[in-house]
Amino acid sequence: MDGEQTTQPEETPLSLSGRRALVVVPAYNEADAIGRTVRDLRRHAPWADVLVVNDGSVDDTGEAARAAGAKVVDLPVNLGIGGAVQTGYRYAYENDYDLAFQFDGDGQHRARLLQELARPILADEADMVVGSRFLKPRGMTARGSRRVGITILAAAVSLVTGLRITDPTSGFRGGGRRVIQLFAQTYPQDYPEPESLVLVHKQGLRLMEVPATMRRRRGGVSSISTLRGVHYMAKVLLAVLMEALKAPVQIEEELA
Amino acid sequence: MMNWTQRIVLLALALSMLGLTLELIRRRRLREEYAVLWVCTGIMILVFVVMPNLLFILSGWLQLDRTVLMTFVCFLFLAAIVMHYSVVISKHSEREKHLAQELALLRDELEKLRAEMREAPPMPAAPKPRPPALRT
Repeated sequence: MDGEQTTQPEETPLSLSGRRALVVVPAYNEADAIGRTVRDLRRHAPWADVLVVNDGSVDDTGEAARAAGAKVVDLPVNLGIGGAVQTGYRYAYENDYDLAFQFDGDGQHRARLLQELARPILADEADMVVGSRFLKPRGMTARGSRRVGITILAAAVSLVTGLRITDPTSGFRGGGRRVIQLFAQTYPQDYPEPESLVLVHKQGLRLMEVPATMRRRRGGVSSISTLRGVHYMAKVLLAVLMEALKAPVQIEEELA
Repeated sequence: MMNWTQRIVLLALALSMLGLTLELIRRRRLREEYAVLWVCTGIMILVFVVMPNLLFILSGWLQLDRTVLMTFVCFLFLAAIVMHYSVVISKHSEREKHLAQELALLRDELEKLRAEMREAPPMPAAPKPRPPALRT
């Protein structure tokens, strides 16, 4: 479903060597866009299973996702993005997936780039990989107030973790088994994208950003409007700092 | 200094507060866990009604006007109650989230089993046991 033709450098095909990958697509009232997103994933990332977490939608999101060939888990109530994504990690944990990725239902993420997230994890160079819109060479720029907000937030997360983080709000990310287990057990609820970076780093897991372009949104609107931007920023910064202060999570022994 | 009428009225109020708390527990409409604060509140009021001099002594020690002291104590108490509720609400939303997730995953599991049963009705291979639910 990817209309454009960009010249991609020839890459070695992704080798999972027997490991299983799951793409978690949280969706709340995305009936219009979810089918295209799922077909996009099945076409450009056929090496991964697709799980749509239907977060208590009141429209036909679940049916549309099933019709497009995704596995679907229906939450009985709307839990919000954090709870929905965590459901996906729980599914990955219980069904013994080795890699799990997050992918937006509204079509802004590129399925073809999923393998760029997978490579460092498969090569055991990172436990969690985030696709950043602002890393060179593909770097793009957000406009106006959003750019300022992301810069401040990136600075805060970088400060707290001591890593160079350029795109803390990116929901295009994935992790290996240790991240799956951590997130299945504990996942932030309020502003999960930046908060989970701090959480992962605190647990001693390796975090990496790779460049990733994104599309303009197909349907739906950003959950962050410019008007509420300042209020949002204050709350996210507070949440990130609180996350840094929280006690580390005791990971339960994995059952062999 | 309080006169006797005032003391009797306040005593009645304090006792009915305690009585109400106990009655709610008895009718199982209030769990003991959450009643502790209310019992404490009732006892506190009772203490001040029976020994109003306590208030004078306290305000003397702290060099605070009695009204200021009482307002401050009331505020602290209400703040403590609200804080307690916030903790309880947080705990419950975490549980509610966990339950919703378990429910969704179990329903998915059930659908899978049903599909397997439809495909191979006699003696399906024993399915792999599901890992125990995570404690959160």
